Amino acid sequence: MGRRPSGVATSDDPRVIAARCLVELTTEHRSLSQLLPAYLAGLEPTTRALVQELCFGVARWHSRLEYLATQLLERPLRGRDADVQMLILIGIYQLIYMRIAAHAAVDQTVAAAGHLGKGWARGLVNAVLRNLQRRREELLAGAEQDAVARWAHPAWWLTRLQQAWPADWTTILEANNSRPPMTLRINMARTTRQLYLQRLLQAGIAADEVAAVPSALTLHQPMDVARLPGFAEGDVSVQDAAAQLAAPLLAPLPGERVLDACAAPGGKTCHVLECQPALAALLALDHDPQRLHRISENLQRTGVRADLVCADAAVPATWWDGVPFDRILLDAPCSASGIIRRHPDIKLLRQPADISALVIQQRLILDALWGALRPGGLLLYVTCSILPEENTEQMIAFMARHPEATEGGIDASWGRPMAVGRQILSGDQGMDGFYYAALRKRP
Amino acid sequence: MAILHILHYPDERLRRKAVPVTSFGPPLQRLISDMLETMYDAPGVGLAAPQVDVDQRLLVIDISEDRSRPLCLINPEILECSDSEQMEEGCLSVPGVYEKVERAAWVRVRAQDRDGTSFELEADGLLAVCIQHEIDHLEGKLFVDYLSSLKRKRLDKRLDKMRRHNM
Repeated sequence: MGRRPSGVATSDDPRVIAARCLVELTTEHRSLSQLLPAYLAGLEPTTRALVQELCFGVARWHSRLEYLATQLLERPLRGRDADVQMLILIGIYQLIYMRIAAHAAVDQTVAAAGHLGKGWARGLVNAVLRNLQRRREELLAGAEQDAVARWAHPAWWLTRLQQAWPADWTTILEANNSRPPMTLRINMARTTRQLYLQRLLQAGIAADEVAAVPSALTLHQPMDVARLPGFAEGDVSVQDAAAQLAAPLLAPLPGERVLDACAAPGGKTCHVLECQPALAALLALDHDPQRLHRISENLQRTGVRADLVCADAAVPATWWDGVPFDRILLDAPCSASGIIRRHPDIKLLRQPADISALVIQQRLILDALWGALRPGGLLLYVTCSILPEENTEQMIAFMARHPEATEGGIDASWGRPMAVGRQILSGDQGMDGFYYAALRKRP
Repeated sequence: MAILHILHYPDERLRRKAVPVTSFGPPLQRLISDMLETMYDAPGVGLAAPQVDVDQRLLVIDISEDRSRPLCLINPEILECSDSEQMEEGCLSVPGVYEKVERAAWVRVRAQDRDGTSFELEADGLLAVCIQHEIDHLEGKLFVDYLSSLKRKRLDKRLDKMRRHNM
């Protein structure tokens, strides 16, 4: 009798791990943020780095890689061989996008087919990758002619972006496919951007100030957070510049009661408290207990306090004591279409129907929270989306339902003014795509 | 000692019913040593004589991780069995295929050792499954025979493909 070799069940082969992770992503519809920690646990640093690079890279270029694989395969592989298909995409990705010697990339990927327990596919993987090397120019030229392959986005994304941003859609797509910068938020309660920039330079780390955002520095090279001076002490956090606009726009005053309605992972919660430590109360809600736990980690590191409650923001009866809030930050659940460069797996996971469901969810949360805001209070609506139905259109509809809502007006140099609120498109001034609208409740 | 050639499904020789061992002389001793070496080399946890094209009622087993508990069962018979459990099995004659099979969870077996001395053995867990799997080989039966016809058809197609790719 034979037993399944343990090397098949668990492998240290980074290509095998990446293939399995990506197959689980597409079949179980779970994100890389959810999946990777388990797949990376216990791996050597170099293996970890390669698995991450392969997972993010294949997710980023998936539509283009699929196009190339289709040209190279005589017929599609069957569903049960999704791992072999993914391994082929991983092989193509290495040949086109990575600085790995081509022969090594091919040999390692062929070997990985064996480590997947699909020894029969070795010849196939080898033939496909060798063919790609031979026909590279012709195939890449073909990919340029196919919109989905060229822009590496599903067709429905392309249509939506073309409709919403006829003048900007190609810039948006290019930003979506670029590697995101690593941006820091300086804790202005502890230090200044100028002083922290000097500490970075002394540590040999190059960074630039983000002109539109006073707390933000962008590193020239991404690095391990643990090596950032003062990170463990909370002098600095990692957060895109666009997300750093929330706390200054909310601008709570000493003694006010503030609600952060969809708070996890807590970056904006901490920032609000860094900007205004003298609040009467800050209640941070999130419906996901695991993500709520990340808020408490972030709060501890930055040394600030907030009340954390695991609850659905759309149902105030479960978390509200009836005392109105002075200010409410609603970083609403959204398509995340503005942060595809950071989470390229969104392109694989999101379906057109998700958008309309999110629009309804946003509307329910908005209407529920509005009742918990005191007259004269401010609600800051934020999304990391660039789709008008989640942003401007959502706001216009809200103001039509609630005549006592007026626009608080955002005076800013970033992004572009919309009918209501301001939109930052992905890549604008190097930032993630975000939308901000300030709503004031008439007294 | 030598590593023996293992027959692969669907080789018809795997379907023969083996005959009892009657001679316990040096040729049998050499065969047992070779079968253990072949099983360890594969690597596997059990090997029956028909898998190496020997038509005799003889099998070797070692389910330990460190090859420390070799077991040789000659002319084995299952006297008693109880309960049932599902365990994933593979077979050195059907490489690369692992499927769940339902078998008795506990067995009592009588067999002879390599000197011809009779003994009884009770087993559960992996050992029980392995004994039943190997005794099946002596009857010309393979673990894939237990699969549903759908799974079996899929398996045959897959094996067919493997063979074509290996050529």
